[in-house]
Amino acid sequence: MKPTRSSVPWFTRVALILLGVLFLLPFFWMVSTSLKPLNETMKLPPQWLPSSPQWNNYPDAMRAMGPFWLYARNSLLLAFLNVIGTVFSSALVAYGFSRLDWRGRDACFFVLLATMMIPFPVVMVPIYGLFKAVGWIGTFQPLWVPAFLAGAFNVFLLRQFFLSIPRDLSEAARIDGCSEFRIFWQIILPLAKPALLTVALFQFMATWNDFLGPLIFLARENQYTLALGLQALQGTISGTPWHHLMAASTLVLLPVLVLFFLTQRTFIRGIATTGLK
Amino acid sequence: MAKVLIENLYKIYPAEKGRPEKVAVDNANVEIQDREFMVLVGPSGCGKTTTLRMVAGLEEISRGAIYIDGKKINEIPPKDRDIAMVFQNYALYPHMSVYRNMAFGLELRGVPKDEIRRRVDSAARTLGLLEPDNLLERKPKALSGGQRQRVALGRAIVRNPKAFLFDEPLSNLDAKMRVETRTEISRLHRQLDSTMIYVTHDQTEAMTMADRIVVMRHGKIQQIAAPLDLYHQPANLFVAGFIGSPPMNFFNGTLTASRQGTLEFVEKVPAGQTPFRCPLSAETSRRLSSRQDREVILGLRPEHLHPNSLTSGSTLEASVEVVEPMGAETFVYLKTGGHTCICRTTQVEFMDLEGKKLNLGPDLSRAVFFDPQTEAAIPA
Amino acid sequence: MMPGEHRNLIKGLVFISPWIVGFLAFNLYPLIASIWFSLCDYSVLSQPVFLGVQNYVDLWHDPVFWKALRNTVVFALVAIPLSSFLSIGLAVLLNQPIAGQGIYRTIFFLPSLVPAISLAILWQWMLNGPMGLVNNLVRPFLNIINAVCGSHLQAPDWLNDPNFALGGLILTGLWGTGQAVVIYLAGLQEIPLELYEAAELDGTSAWQRFLHVTLPMLSPVIFFNVLMSIIGALQTFAVPYILTGGGDGPGRSLLFLATYIYQNAFDYWNMGYASALALCLFVLIIALSLVSVRYGEKKVHYSGR
Repeated sequence: MKPTRSSVPWFTRVALILLGVLFLLPFFWMVSTSLKPLNETMKLPPQWLPSSPQWNNYPDAMRAMGPFWLYARNSLLLAFLNVIGTVFSSALVAYGFSRLDWRGRDACFFVLLATMMIPFPVVMVPIYGLFKAVGWIGTFQPLWVPAFLAGAFNVFLLRQFFLSIPRDLSEAARIDGCSEFRIFWQIILPLAKPALLTVALFQFMATWNDFLGPLIFLARENQYTLALGLQALQGTISGTPWHHLMAASTLVLLPVLVLFFLTQRTFIRGIATTGLK
Repeated sequence: MAKVLIENLYKIYPAEKGRPEKVAVDNANVEIQDREFMVLVGPSGCGKTTTLRMVAGLEEISRGAIYIDGKKINEIPPKDRDIAMVFQNYALYPHMSVYRNMAFGLELRGVPKDEIRRRVDSAARTLGLLEPDNLLERKPKALSGGQRQRVALGRAIVRNPKAFLFDEPLSNLDAKMRVETRTEISRLHRQLDSTMIYVTHDQTEAMTMADRIVVMRHGKIQQIAAPLDLYHQPANLFVAGFIGSPPMNFFNGTLTASRQGTLEFVEKVPAGQTPFRCPLSAETSRRLSSRQDREVILGLRPEHLHPNSLTSGSTLEASVEVVEPMGAETFVYLKTGGHTCICRTTQVEFMDLEGKKLNLGPDLSRAVFFDPQTEAAIPA
Repeated sequence: MMPGEHRNLIKGLVFISPWIVGFLAFNLYPLIASIWFSLCDYSVLSQPVFLGVQNYVDLWHDPVFWKALRNTVVFALVAIPLSSFLSIGLAVLLNQPIAGQGIYRTIFFLPSLVPAISLAILWQWMLNGPMGLVNNLVRPFLNIINAVCGSHLQAPDWLNDPNFALGGLILTGLWGTGQAVVIYLAGLQEIPLELYEAAELDGTSAWQRFLHVTLPMLSPVIFFNVLMSIIGALQTFAVPYILTGGGDGPGRSLLFLATYIYQNAFDYWNMGYASALALCLFVLIIALSLVSVRYGEKKVHYSGR
């Protein structure tokens, strides 16, 4: 509950404004730098705004990165595959853990919870070995096939949601003549749309943001995701052209921002509920 | 429409850590006739819902068997048992329209579209879902509780099942809606002429709706009988106290020989109090002669305690504690030497009697006697 | 088992089958394999050679390992409390009835969405010694302090100074606390108003109310967040890796355990040793988690909702 006093102390307002500005500053600086010519980026004391915005920095940066659109396509493809795989497999598994009663269910779920504690570095090497054995290193497969095998976190999220759907809905459907899969598909999934959207959003962000995965599993440059391509840019050029780097960083960030603004409410609500449960 | 036979039915939850084995349904035997309205009634935890769910196939049968129309259905999944169920919380699919909710079961069975349309419209008309407003295209959240329950009824009706199962369908409705829907269901029973099994914890619902009632307690069936038989000839103390509102009065006491050569009931009282005495008729004395000088419990319904009655010399004096004028009748709460009791009368001049003494005439011809150890009624 | 139960078991297993496959391939097998590899000399190109506990002995004597461990733990011990104070504080500020609450919330939340690569490059620029924005903001204050106290404080060359690199990284992390802010804000909004009203009637000050109503009621959320933060902080990899261009920073001050594991695995192809290191990380995470859980059980107050 929010306190309803109508007069808020002034220092609260001041603090918020100050902190708000501080938090916005890096964004502002990033975009501002991206629009400056190189010499202006290194001026001291710093020049807040570019004298005239150099929009051509953006195509220049894209060109400097190499096959920018190829990288973008790779990132999008992986994100798309991951979202589809995650949503369906997590929903399926979450259903099994929440809408069905079977012996050993809770023990299995406990195991699932326990796996969330295993840090990636521990399993990194053997998984690499596994993929190498099947010849998948240097392909996209390691970056999307696991999504179809239901990650623990998403299963946990969806299970919480599924548990809140009344049990007698399933029972009525069983009496009506639904097979279990039909109940899953026609009754539970339609009712779970907000939760599914949240999972999809989180997964998109996670895949777009993923750095370690592509770093380890991809080999050829034409497979790089945007993240990897950007890192290559950072590595190869000398004399650090900050304006290009900032432009490229902004480009990589942009889809995430757009997605967020389109789905703000769902997103925020999703984050809030993960914490509360 | 079908006979349903429940034979030696058990539901046992095996022991697990923190909880011993629990027998939720203990050797239930019920034979429900074709087209009968059978009510399972009892306090919560008595096993009535578990029994119903075993009939529905929503609960595994631990031991025993259930037959519908002579066919054993233990292993048959719910959808093939040809039954329909109305749930306490309606269980309507929130994302489907009323029409689709009712049509869903038929869709799944491959019933042709125009047949579905016909059945749904017919059921909707019967249940008042078309007039004054056509509710068919609305979603459940746009309906009131009473309307939702009628949609749930409609969903069951269109299936034309062998038997209807009701799981406390009125519990979530307000008092007025409850009475309306209750009569609706009774009317439907007459109209559809089908077998109905109805679970409730409310004995009023049971009494008003049932052809026969199964009274359950702690998983065991206490008595199966028609409502009035249950009322006048309860099999044990529990049934006697459960059925009827306000409940039957119980007096502990002994049967001793009276001066007239018949038996007399003497109330059991704590030291210092005066017990009341009620002579029994010659016939009753003969019937209970084997129980002379033994303890019994006298059960007398509130309407059989007549105030200020001077009949046949058996009066008991009690002091009035509370008077509740209900309009058409009055409830008087009294205290005798050793017991409290309720008297129910259509005489209405009792307003200032609180704290004063009153003479009551018990009509022992309607009394039921119980054995204090077994709690069973002493048979007529 | 009764036939119905048997049916349900099959159904259940079918539904969770994707997870079962994933569990076997990506959790169980790797865990066991990791333990095995840690006892071997293994590079993926050839078969593992059993070494017994040699890797662990080497690890014990490896100064780089201890440096990485120290960096990781120090980072966690400093970043997590700082970040918690900040996010709880922001959430409390946001929980006031001010205009534009949604906007502020967005402003604080947005940085947590920034992809690691953009984040690292941005802060590499922000933390630049001579030209970075951070120093340009800090320098005026330092000049004032210098003028007043006669000191000669300089704005640090964050990413090139072994004493300040970790601090710079922590700053980066603080910018991204938005996700926790959202969670805390939701938690704050769950606290029933009556508790505050009763406390006000009892004559408490705002600070006391914060201590005795807000914090206890928020404690389950705090506990959860801190636990998640510990597990996350101990696995830090991407940002420092990118910040240092794949290296470990000045004087190895940005070498984290995860970075060292990565280097051993994919730069030196010393996978046996990497596995041993990884298992140490695992043990560290479990140990700290258990400590937190034990501590949390005593301190966390559940309102039994």
